[in-house]
Order: sequence, then C-alpha cells, then structure tokens
Amino acid sequence: MMARKTVLEYTRYPIAFGALFAQIFLIILLFVLTTVAFAGQPGAPGTQENISKFGGAMAYGFVVNIILSFTLWEIGFSVREEQVRGTIESLYLSPANKFSNLVSRIFAVLSMTLLMCLGGLAVVSAVIGGLPVNNVGQGLLALLLTTSGFLGIGFIFAGVTIKLKETAQLLVNGLQFTFSIFCAMFFPFSALRNLSPAIVDYVSKVLPVSYCVDLFRSTLLGTSPELAPWDVEWLIVLAFGLVSPLVGYLVYERIERKARMEGSLGEY
Amino acid sequence: MAAETISRGFGLGRPSGRASFGVIWSVFKARVKIITRYKGAILLESLIPIIFAGLPILLGTAVAGGEQNAATNFFTYTHTQTTTGQPLTAADFRLYMLMGSNTFMVVSLMLWLIGYWVRREQETGTLEALYLAPAKRFYVLAGVTSYTLVRSLMAFLVATVLGSLLFNVNPLNGPFGAALLYLLLGIPALWGISFFFGAIVMRIKEANSVIQLLQWVLASAMGVYFPVTVFPALLQWTAMVFPPTLMTDAIRSTLLPIHSIYGEWYVVLGLMLTAAWLVPFLGYRFFGLIERRVRRDQGVGQF
Repeated sequence: MMARKTVLEYTRYPIAFGALFAQIFLIILLFVLTTVAFAGQPGAPGTQENISKFGGAMAYGFVVNIILSFTLWEIGFSVREEQVRGTIESLYLSPANKFSNLVSRIFAVLSMTLLMCLGGLAVVSAVIGGLPVNNVGQGLLALLLTTSGFLGIGFIFAGVTIKLKETAQLLVNGLQFTFSIFCAMFFPFSALRNLSPAIVDYVSKVLPVSYCVDLFRSTLLGTSPELAPWDVEWLIVLAFGLVSPLVGYLVYERIERKARMEGSLGEY
Repeated sequence: MAAETISRGFGLGRPSGRASFGVIWSVFKARVKIITRYKGAILLESLIPIIFAGLPILLGTAVAGGEQNAATNFFTYTHTQTTTGQPLTAADFRLYMLMGSNTFMVVSLMLWLIGYWVRREQETGTLEALYLAPAKRFYVLAGVTSYTLVRSLMAFLVATVLGSLLFNVNPLNGPFGAALLYLLLGIPALWGISFFFGAIVMRIKEANSVIQLLQWVLASAMGVYFPVTVFPALLQWTAMVFPPTLMTDAIRSTLLPIHSIYGEWYVVLGLMLTAAWLVPFLGYRFFGLIERRVRRDQGVGQF
C-alpha cells in the first residue's frame, strides 16, 4: 500500500521519470568520455582494449554506485520532506508499520533504477564496442545482496536525517563521493593501490561496500576479485546483505525514539 | 488620474533605496541564520569538489598506467595547447581537475540553493505569503542570490585551499587574483541562470529530480572533466555559449599555461562582460514571465 502511494506520487511528477533516466545516461557518458580521453591515441595498439577493460569496470561499478546513491538519497530525503511539510509527526501517529514505511520509500525508485541501469549498460557497450558479460545469475545475486545491504545504510541515514536535518543531505553527498573513491566504483582497486597500498589495505578493505563492488564487477567481467578470494568475498557480501538491514533499522529506531522523547521529530 | 493617484498614493508608500536594501539584507540575514543552525554544512560542501576532482585523477591514473601518462594522454586527446611550448605536467593535470570541480561547485550551489529556496517556500506554504508582502520580488531574489553567492564563494575558497594541500598543487604560482576576478565576473551570469532555474522549479515543481539532472548536464556542458572541444561541433558551440563553460575556461587558462578555447584574454574578458549583463537581464525577464503565468494558472503555492 505504501509503495503504491510512492508510485502514485511519482506519477504526479512525470518529469522526474525522464530526469532520472537522462541523469543516469549523462553520468555514464561523462565517465566513458573521460575514460576515452585517458586511454591514449585513438587507433594506437592497446587503446581499444584499455577502453573496453576500464569502461567495463567503470560501468559495473557505476551500477552499484547508482543503487547506493538512490538508497541513501531516497530514504533520507523523503523523511526530510515529511519533516519540512510537517507530516512526519502525523505519520508516526498512524498505526502503520515503521519498517514497511521506510522500505516503501525506496521500492519504486529502485525498480526504476534497475531498468535504467540496463539501458545505461547498453549505452556503454555501444560506446566502448562491447561490454564483457559473464556469470549473469551470480552477478544478479551479488547485486541483490548488495542492495539489501545498502538498505541498512539507508535506514541509518534516515535516522541521521532526523537528527542532523539539513546537514544530513550534505553528509549523504559527501559519503556518496567517499564511497565512490574508497570503494573504487569508477576505477579498479589497482588505481588506489598505485596511489598508496595503505588506502586499499586500511580503508577499502574495511568497508563492506568495497567487496560488493569488487564481487559484482569481477563476476560479470569474468576476472579475479582484487580484494580477497572468491569465497571470502561471497561470505562478506552475504553477511552484509543479511545483517546490514537489521542493524540499520535498529539504529534508525533508536534515533527516532530519542527524537520523539525530545519532541524534535517534527523540527526542521 | 484619480485612480493612479489613489493606487500610488502621494509617493509616501514608495520604498526608498534604503528600504529596498533593507529587504535584501533581511532576506540575506535570514538565510545565513538558517544555515548556521546546521553545523558543518559549509565544510562538508567544500569537501565535495575535492572528491569530485579525485575521481578522474584516479580513473586516469588507472587507465593510462601512471599520472604523468594520464596527463599526457589527456592533454593530447583534448588538443589542449600550452602557452609556453613546454609539456604539461601531472601537477598541471591535478590543478586543471581541481579548478574545474571547484568552479562546478560554485555553479551547482548557486542553482541548487535557488531551486531549493523556491521549492522549500512552496512546500512550507510561505511562497504565497511572500508574494503578499509589500516588498518587490527583485529585492527578495537579490537577497537570496547574495546569500548563495557568499556561501558558494566560501566553498570555493575552502575547497581550493584544502584541495591544493591534498593534491600538492599551488594555485598561487599563477595569477590567482586574476582567476578570482574572472570567477566574480562570472557571478552575475550565474545569477541570471539561477533566475531561469528558479522559474523552472516554480513551474514544474520537481526541484529534486531537475536539480540532480541539471547537475550532470552542467558538469558535462561546462567541461568539468574535459574541455568541451572534445564534443561534436554543434554540441561544442552550444556548450561554449553557456556562461559557466566560459567561466571555467577563463579560470583554468589564467592559472595554467594553456590557451583558452575562446581565444585571447581580451576575447574572454569581452564575452564575460557581455554575459554579466545580458544573462541576468534575460533571466529576470524569464522569471517574471513564468511567475505571472503560474499566478494566473494555479497560484504559486501549489506543489
């Protein structure tokens, strides 16, 4: 019911659909063009292989990035919108399940995003002259677990939004870019290792999101994972996908309860 | 005649220059007061362009197999010409990306803040009240845009200092003052664009998606990651007409030993001066037009 309400709200703003779709294509094109600019002289030996290899890594990393981005933005942002409109307190007085309330906010946008990502990958494939696609089933499973794990981060951010209000938006922005860099979403982990092995060893390897990116990308590209052996990566991603939503929701509940006790839930 | 006298009064009801400035100052003060309630907002937004610049640097290093290779491949591919005849270094490449991202942040913040201001006033139901207030809309908008200017310039300066330390580049090696002047000269055009943007948000109401989309359109059109010369001719010319592209190019070509894609410095200056009066004029006219239409159709408060 709540997801339907979100979908209904989306249908009231048709330009949002088009904007979302165009945005995904634009981001992909921007990074593909950047990859092409760095790959060397067009037509020189090795240039096309370079573009295909790094274009593929970038495109699959981008899919994970866009899901993370929408999960973080949609849940937190919609809670913020309810605060601003003054409807959040009335919503909390209704007998609706809080967990469903949070998940419903992301359902519509995630379904759309997945479809758009397929379109985006087709664009990359056309620009770089063929995208490597291997082990599709395993890749989808990795993506499903990744998305479930991101929901947990999204729940935490919904809580953070209640607490930090306007600053939370910037924090989401900053966190999104931080994940993009340290989880190597737009380039292989070797780029970070070249900069300093400590970045990969002490930062990237600590973040479960890095393993999600690496596993999804390596599975589809058909290459060896860069951070850990296959079984270790699968185990981490599985644990992340199962534990993160539970922990995230508990954190959200705690922040929300505190805000209700302080009477600051509706404050913005 | 009598009606005109009644409607205008005897001149006593007309706001003086001081009163008009008072409106600008009050709006500005209110916005500043609101943002100071959200601790860390300014610092956080200053970090974003640094991360944004880091992405192509890391991607380039990975693709080209080294930072100097990345710089060489990039400047060769984009046909960037040096003024000294010396090849551009990895540090030049880092500064190129940093300045692009910082300028993008200024442009993006100005549009973002104006768009959200309109949307927020709509959502909280205060936009209609604002229209009933005896203050000219122009001064209210001037107050909001002045606030966005101060906030985005602060973000630019903090990001430049932090980014320079992190990327180990020194923008003061070049004429940084001149680059800053180009940035300031580009601001009136940004004001104009933000009027356009505010009008669009008022009309179509979907600020969030439009802002997010426009951010990436902006990033592509103003050449954040690469000069617009890599685009096909038609797209290139369209992007070159866009004032933020001019601003980015002016700042980069001032700080780095590279030729501007627009030509000599006086051409760049002339174009910037033209944009500085033309774009705000057109932007405000457009805002007025859309505003009248919205008020006639369904009122400004509906969202």
